[in-house]
Amino acid sequence: MRKEEVEIKENERGWQEGMAKNITFIVTKDCQLACKYCYLIGKNEKERMTWTTAKQAIDYILDNENLFKEESVVWDFIGGEPFLEIDLIDKICDYIKIEMFRRNHHWFDSYRFSFSTNGINYDNPKVQKFIEKNIDHLSIGITIDGTKRKHDLNRIWKGNNSEERGSYDDVVRNIPLWLSQFPDASTKVTISSADIPYISESVMHLYSLGIKEVNINVVFEDVWREGDDILFEDQLIALADEIIEKEYYKNYACSFFSDSIGRPLDPDVDNQNWCGAGKMLAIDSHGNFYPCTRFAAYSLRNKRPIIIGNIEEGINQNLLRPFITLDRITQSPQKCLNCEVASGCAWCQGENYDAADTDTIYQRSTAICRMHKARVRANNYYWNKLYRKLESEGMKQ
Amino acid sequence: MLKYLIVQLDDSAPSFCHYTLKDKDQRLIPLDLLEKALIWAMKENLNVQFIYPESELPTEYKKIIDFVDHADIASVCCEDNSLVRKAEVLLLSSLSIPEKLELRKGCAYVWRTTISDFLINYKVMIEILPHIDRINVVFTDVINFKDSMKAAYSAALDRLAQAIVSEYKHQHQVQLNLLTDRMLLNEMNNCNAGDESITLCPDGKFYVCPAFYSDEENAVGDLNSGPFIMNEELLKLSYAPICRICDAWQCRRCVWMNRELTHEVNTPGHEQCLMAHIERNASARLARRLRNECDIKLGKDFTETECLDPFERLNN
Repeated sequence: MRKEEVEIKENERGWQEGMAKNITFIVTKDCQLACKYCYLIGKNEKERMTWTTAKQAIDYILDNENLFKEESVVWDFIGGEPFLEIDLIDKICDYIKIEMFRRNHHWFDSYRFSFSTNGINYDNPKVQKFIEKNIDHLSIGITIDGTKRKHDLNRIWKGNNSEERGSYDDVVRNIPLWLSQFPDASTKVTISSADIPYISESVMHLYSLGIKEVNINVVFEDVWREGDDILFEDQLIALADEIIEKEYYKNYACSFFSDSIGRPLDPDVDNQNWCGAGKMLAIDSHGNFYPCTRFAAYSLRNKRPIIIGNIEEGINQNLLRPFITLDRITQSPQKCLNCEVASGCAWCQGENYDAADTDTIYQRSTAICRMHKARVRANNYYWNKLYRKLESEGMKQ
Repeated sequence: MLKYLIVQLDDSAPSFCHYTLKDKDQRLIPLDLLEKALIWAMKENLNVQFIYPESELPTEYKKIIDFVDHADIASVCCEDNSLVRKAEVLLLSSLSIPEKLELRKGCAYVWRTTISDFLINYKVMIEILPHIDRINVVFTDVINFKDSMKAAYSAALDRLAQAIVSEYKHQHQVQLNLLTDRMLLNEMNNCNAGDESITLCPDGKFYVCPAFYSDEENAVGDLNSGPFIMNEELLKLSYAPICRICDAWQCRRCVWMNRELTHEVNTPGHEQCLMAHIERNASARLARRLRNECDIKLGKDFTETECLDPFERLNN
């Protein structure tokens, strides 16, 4: 008799993914940390959102229900570090809830408040009070990069001291509290060139902390050095061996491994844009609107920001048209269109814009090309090995 | 593939298209550059078009210009009467025709106007149509077109269509770009600046079209290096997601206006699409009348469409 097929845990899709509007408040451009890979090059302590600006933005959005027809909404709070502005955030969220109810808005009872935090202030009483109040409509991701040595390599405290101080200890102490409140929470790990050697140990470490889902990606910027792809592949192979050997695949997921990546893409059927820029809306402390936070000035190295409106004049719909109509084929170079392992190769519209030869969002950056191919090779290895194991154990046909 | 070289002979040469000339003093293109440009055009097998200033050119410039086969674009207010009598394209700043000017056939007139001016004065064109073969109406403020103007614009075009039907009945197949271009086409026929044409300006640099000359940062090479347009594929129809599914084939698809309205050369603004589709629908009505009343054979049959902005088909 054949045994039951084993369940392989997959990364969860986001809440109402594809059906929710993402609205991001850049409540502050300040952060306690100065992570070396952070794309936010213009962080500062001065640009903090005021209540007046936040309220005006909410009023504009809720007043114009016809422009925001998505079934649900994710109110996203980002920084810098958003929890530095917990008083403002609490006021914003209360106002949103009251106004959605008062207006009988179609988003009432179909909303989330979402946070990406460095986790340092997580146990702050004000933050905890906020969590308790909104727990049923809350998603919080704490960023922890893995082992202490990997985390502290990049995620360091800001300051002028000549000696770098890592933030691992200040974050890891809050992980048990976080997981007790959000047992299915996931973390986001970012890989740049310097920390490739620590990938495998880091994912394992995060699993050991009780984090069951690790969303991990390489940075989109052109930071890769000769040989990084080989090192990266070796790390992923080591990780694959560990996951399979210790059977973590049953209860833990790592986004590096996916059954659907590494295939050619059909130009007619698979022509969607990868990135959601333009379908989202971001608001900064000046009351300016952006297609995504990545188009705000503090995120851009080389280009001017793309401002698509503001809280006074509303959204200029003409400026959204290039984002809405952008597709994979139109922005991709020929080598991507011919690529045999194209599926799963991601891009960030903001980085594409920042790296482009002209002021366009229609030029895809291919800085991660070799890294994606390395990931595909390791991914193929992972699934071949895992399926062979399961077959030999009678757990899969 | 490049087919045309447009040479703006002077910084003050008037606009013949959507853009408005920035205040610039007179500055002729240096003679040696002009000569070099024409030799380059011959080597590249390009047709040359000259945009003239209103002041008369020095004789040595005329001699060099006559060195190549070319087309002339000039204002009806140009000091050089012989040029006004022979230019292939003549610019009208208004529909008040200067007294000394005799309208002539075999020449294309360009009327640059605002939308509100057009809606007030379009009937003057009805008096002009019998005397000319072609007139292009070019709007200088497309951004000001509002959804509330649809009915008025459509009615104005229908009134002009009536005048065109009359001309056809008198065996005079006059052309008005807004109405007759679409019904004579079988595929997109856009401006194609940067793809089929390139402009050389008095600073000795190439630009995608004269509209881009307003900022030196827009230059795309010079006569020494040749034109080099970064991301030039974005100027092609196949790289324009909205335009490549559109059948308002008469639309200029102005890449300069695209950039002004949407920040991307390959993406038109709503106003440009809306106007082009109102024209397209008026053209469909005109074509129907010409077939029925004048027994004229035209291009592919087409009917009116309710969707006035193809963006809506992509924004699901």
